[in-house]
Amino acid sequence: MSDWLSNIIPFVIVITLFVVIRRAATQPLWAEAIRRIKRNRLALMALCVICIFGATAFCDSISWRKDKNAPSLSLIDRAFERPAEPTYSAPFATMTFGEPTPRPLLGKHWFGTDGTGQDVFYQTLKGCRTATIIGGFTLLIATPLALLFGMMAGYFGKRVDDAIQYSYTILDSIPNILLLVALLMVMGRGLPQLCIALGITSWVGLCRLTRGETLKHREREYVRAAKALGISNIRILFRHILPNLLPLVVISTTLSFSGLVLAEAILSYLQLGVAQGTGSWGNMIDGARLELAREPVIWWNLSAASLALFILVLSFNIFGDALRDAIDPRLSS
Amino acid sequence: MFRYLVRRLLYAIPILVGVSLVTFLLFYCVFPPEQIARRNLSAKNPTPEQIQDWLTTHNYNHPLSEQFQKHMSELFLLRFGRADSTNEPIWDRIKAGVGPSSLIAALIFVSALATQLFLALWSAYFRGTYVDLWITFLCVLLMSVVYIVFVIAGQFLMGKILRLFPLAGYQPSWSSFRFAVLPVIIGVISGLGSGTRFYRTFMLEEVNQDYVRTARAKGVPESRILFKHVLKNALIPIISSTVLAIPSLMLGNLVLESFFGIPGLGSYTVDAINSQDFAVVRAMVFLGTLLYIAGAILTDVCYAIADPRIRLE
Amino acid sequence: MKFSSRRHWLFTTVAASVVLAGCGNSPYPAGLTGQSVYFLSQADDPRKLDPASSYRASEGAILDVICSSYYDYQPLKTKNFQLILGLGASEAKRAPYTYTDAKTKKPRVGEQWTFKVRRDLKFANDACFPGGMGRAITAKDFIYAFRRMADPAAASPVQGFFTDKIIGFDDLIARNGDLLKKGEGADYKTPVPGLQLDQKDPYTFRINLNQPYPQMRYLMAMHFTSPMAYESVDYYGKDIVHHPIGCGPFILEEWTPKRRIVLAKNPNRPAEYYPSEGDPGDKEAGLLANAGKQLPLVDKVVVSNITESTTGWNLFLQGYMDGWSVTQSNYQQVVSQQGSLTPEMQEHGIRLTKSSDVGVTYFAFNMRDPIFGGYTTEKRKLRQAVSLAVNSQEFIELFSQGNGRAAQTVVPPGIYGYDPKYRNPFRAYDPKLTRAKELLKEAGYPNGLDARTGERLTLYYDNAKTDAAGRQYVALISRQIQALGLRLESRSQRDVVWQSKIDGNDWQMTDYGWLADYPDPENFVFLLYGPNRRPGPNLTGYDNPVYNRLFEKMRAMDDGPERLKLIEQMRAISDEDCPLIYIQNSQKLSLAYDWLSDFKPNPVTNTALKYRSVDGEKRAERQRQWNKPVWWPLAAMFAVLIAGTLPAIQVVKNRHRRRVTHKD
Repeated sequence: MSDWLSNIIPFVIVITLFVVIRRAATQPLWAEAIRRIKRNRLALMALCVICIFGATAFCDSISWRKDKNAPSLSLIDRAFERPAEPTYSAPFATMTFGEPTPRPLLGKHWFGTDGTGQDVFYQTLKGCRTATIIGGFTLLIATPLALLFGMMAGYFGKRVDDAIQYSYTILDSIPNILLLVALLMVMGRGLPQLCIALGITSWVGLCRLTRGETLKHREREYVRAAKALGISNIRILFRHILPNLLPLVVISTTLSFSGLVLAEAILSYLQLGVAQGTGSWGNMIDGARLELAREPVIWWNLSAASLALFILVLSFNIFGDALRDAIDPRLSS
Repeated sequence: MFRYLVRRLLYAIPILVGVSLVTFLLFYCVFPPEQIARRNLSAKNPTPEQIQDWLTTHNYNHPLSEQFQKHMSELFLLRFGRADSTNEPIWDRIKAGVGPSSLIAALIFVSALATQLFLALWSAYFRGTYVDLWITFLCVLLMSVVYIVFVIAGQFLMGKILRLFPLAGYQPSWSSFRFAVLPVIIGVISGLGSGTRFYRTFMLEEVNQDYVRTARAKGVPESRILFKHVLKNALIPIISSTVLAIPSLMLGNLVLESFFGIPGLGSYTVDAINSQDFAVVRAMVFLGTLLYIAGAILTDVCYAIADPRIRLE
Repeated sequence: MKFSSRRHWLFTTVAASVVLAGCGNSPYPAGLTGQSVYFLSQADDPRKLDPASSYRASEGAILDVICSSYYDYQPLKTKNFQLILGLGASEAKRAPYTYTDAKTKKPRVGEQWTFKVRRDLKFANDACFPGGMGRAITAKDFIYAFRRMADPAAASPVQGFFTDKIIGFDDLIARNGDLLKKGEGADYKTPVPGLQLDQKDPYTFRINLNQPYPQMRYLMAMHFTSPMAYESVDYYGKDIVHHPIGCGPFILEEWTPKRRIVLAKNPNRPAEYYPSEGDPGDKEAGLLANAGKQLPLVDKVVVSNITESTTGWNLFLQGYMDGWSVTQSNYQQVVSQQGSLTPEMQEHGIRLTKSSDVGVTYFAFNMRDPIFGGYTTEKRKLRQAVSLAVNSQEFIELFSQGNGRAAQTVVPPGIYGYDPKYRNPFRAYDPKLTRAKELLKEAGYPNGLDARTGERLTLYYDNAKTDAAGRQYVALISRQIQALGLRLESRSQRDVVWQSKIDGNDWQMTDYGWLADYPDPENFVFLLYGPNRRPGPNLTGYDNPVYNRLFEKMRAMDDGPERLKLIEQMRAISDEDCPLIYIQNSQKLSLAYDWLSDFKPNPVTNTALKYRSVDGEKRAERQRQWNKPVWWPLAAMFAVLIAGTLPAIQVVKNRHRRRVTHKD
């Protein structure tokens, strides 16, 4: 079940992105922003890198079975289908590593192999999908939640505002780790479950922001005019206020994407990460803590995972910066 | 002002009730007391009678509503009782842990703020030059590294190459400073990127203000403008935005403490969550909420003091 | 540009660095490492130090040198474990004992054990005694310890050892349970027929059992039966779990939870000496160098709580830990080549000691599972097939660097009844899996596909392996099971969830291990005794009437050919039924510096701390040598940063000047 669900997620993310971009391009503010980004070479490079990671994750999500009893393999799995090595081996090595009598390897491994003989490059690629899902799906859950509640609190005020503020203050006061542990215990472990738990713990920040912005917009002329014309509240919220909040949302989601990807690594350290079998950079980094103390040291596992993570997060940060500058030129230096 | 404070304090009560209710429900639905008992009875396999006895001796044997009333009244009277797993009074551990936790957290807080402001000013001073570019780039780099990699690298450097400070441990005396150095450095570096960038925007916004132009026109040297006028004006929003965190410093840093073996409240909380020690978790969550609310009130007060235009009503 | 302020800042930094450099990187107070103090670390912080309730390994390692027991183990005899007298004055006497059964009112024959206690024993000094001075220990204090195990407030994990054996003990427990419900304290007054004080001699007590139970002597070597002062329980109340008071070689001087435990010599300790004989070869190995010296050999022990194994390992390398005991999870960090240290470590004077754990790890099937459990020929063959597909050697290679022995059956080496020549027919791994696939076919799953539905058979593996090493473990077993054609679905849960699934019988296969409580085969073969099923130690729920009958017979026997025969018969039955897939009898590697006297780990005792001596001066000297601080990389970094900024200052100045000229 969860297998099927997590395979759907990348498609949902892509479709959402596509729709958002299509709609945005029709608006003058966004068209201007896109033009500015096109001129920023660094941002375009970052975008390319993000697309490469995204494509890898996408390929890893297209999976099928040969027959009903065969395991479900993705494009990436099929590209790397070959027998596993016996144990550790260094990048480009021809012999196993750290054994009393090294054995010859069956194939070439760019990033070496890990303790169970799995190709590290393959595992790093598998990590792309997990990272993308954790970032994307969590935001897909958290953003609408935050927007809805934030706008409602800001727009309707009074009781609604009190109730929403009250609930997020409570949620904010309980340590996130406790919430995550508890939620994962209720729902069971797994990638979608982890995303839902992360989504529940991470919507508060954006909700606050949205609430504040909506408060400002509520008093603006155009909202008053709309009200005077008798347009329904829901229509005002979604047709008039929401488009004005979008720049803020886009900036904040881009930046929190990288935060979520980084959080996965810490969750693995706290033993809250995804299970074995789901490739994940957090798990690789956590596992490497043991390997680093070995002599001679096994560095490729840690390096591959943290490098991949670093590049993705870096690209997102650079792109996020560029995006912010493009949307809100006043802030750029 | 006084009326405002009273109202805020009254408003704190429903929040505390809500938080305690959620903790209570979380525990009773997710980790039922039988599980806590099983976990804390060290036997390989406890018998049902032993579990029942444990529940009785640890006061978990009441009906749900009565249990909840007890839970609430104990929390609001700050009677935390004894830990489920170790049987020691929770207040003793809180008293013992608050020192190390606040020492480390406060050191990190102060030195991080200082470094971030310094770098932000530096960056603003050299704006447009390669120094500014490099600092910005460095910030983005630092923001993209996983926390754990900082810890691993820091221990590796300190343990194998520099050998300047102890790797882990703690001593309750003035010499505990040397134990704090490594965790503090790591804490500072890990927050450096985002903080510096954040403050840099503040500074740059100030730099474009009218009063700066006036000062410049009057021939005040650039360094003086920056370090005196800009810093002073930027400090108001900066301080107000960081005050919220100050009371919570007492609870310490969860990951750093467990990694560096600092016997503070952060690692205490993590251990309690991991060992499902309900008594400790509810106490720590309650304290955390109290401090959080204190921070929020403090922030408002600071705003009012720093900006005379704001009046608290 | 105000340079002076920056120079001032630089000066402060340098001054601060000089001050800090004086402190060094030692995690201990200055001068302590030069003394006769033994430094070690534990990853797990004890929760309680209470003879009645402590059960974790980390607790035993501390508690057993604070609270001595009637018997002790001869530390150097690790080939055949041998009990020596601890607090006992003479060997316990066993005699048949006739008693009236409480329910049937008929006379039955049980067994009486008579214990005579040393007369020179005194409790350690503590505030709970009048005047703070420890009083003399008599047989009463031993009986008190037994009664305390029946007290619900103590939550003793070993009640089960005694409930069905000491006459009247179950009644006492029931009575205490009733008292607790009424809100009253436990009963320490009413006589229990099984716990008898001698009328004349205050140093003699008797334990009456309703059946012969030779293992009783081993229980008298565990801290659960060590004498307990009622004063301490009265004085400390609920806090008693943090104030262990006994008459062992050490007293608890300081316990700061999550930080450290300090043990100091107990001035009231009874005379005890380092043994003067050991296993063959011990003398040549220098293990008898301290023979005849009074114990303990160090004045103090400092046990630091270090949860991160990497941190502990680095501290050991810096010389701040005298020894480093390597467990399975951090095994792979220590030794690079099989069984040998790197030359660099040898240069540092590190010594490597190998020792076998008396224990066994295994995968277990749930015998009540509809697919993999059951006793029909097909079900048995299915389990045998899976067992044949699991390669212990790979586990040993990956997780223990090849140290450890592939386990063949439930009884591990070092225990009576272990046969080094025995090979379990269903643990013989063949890479081609010929026999395994045959058996799988006969079981109705050719190539892993259900013959009736054509679906692939799935084996659900429930585990609590959420950490890094655990994930590798799961990866390895799934690879091996998949090679057989089965699908392995891992269900990794947090500890508690996993444990409650096991207890709730909601599992199919899991992994487990058993370490000896005492060195008797009964402590291992009882893992498969039917009536011991959950909440007893029988995890799988295996229940074979023939096996059960044989077990009941062998339990009451003393070691001898007859008992051996029974053990072999039981082995044949259980290995054929295959409820467990035995993986390994693990070996432990421990490292120690040469300033610590050599000692052999004994897997069944926890009293190693008292047999070690330390050359403090040598240690302090080495620590100084190895931990010279290196400052230049920091200085170089600052220099580069400052030098790098200098040109920018020029740029800014130019900009300023330009602006000025522009305005003109």
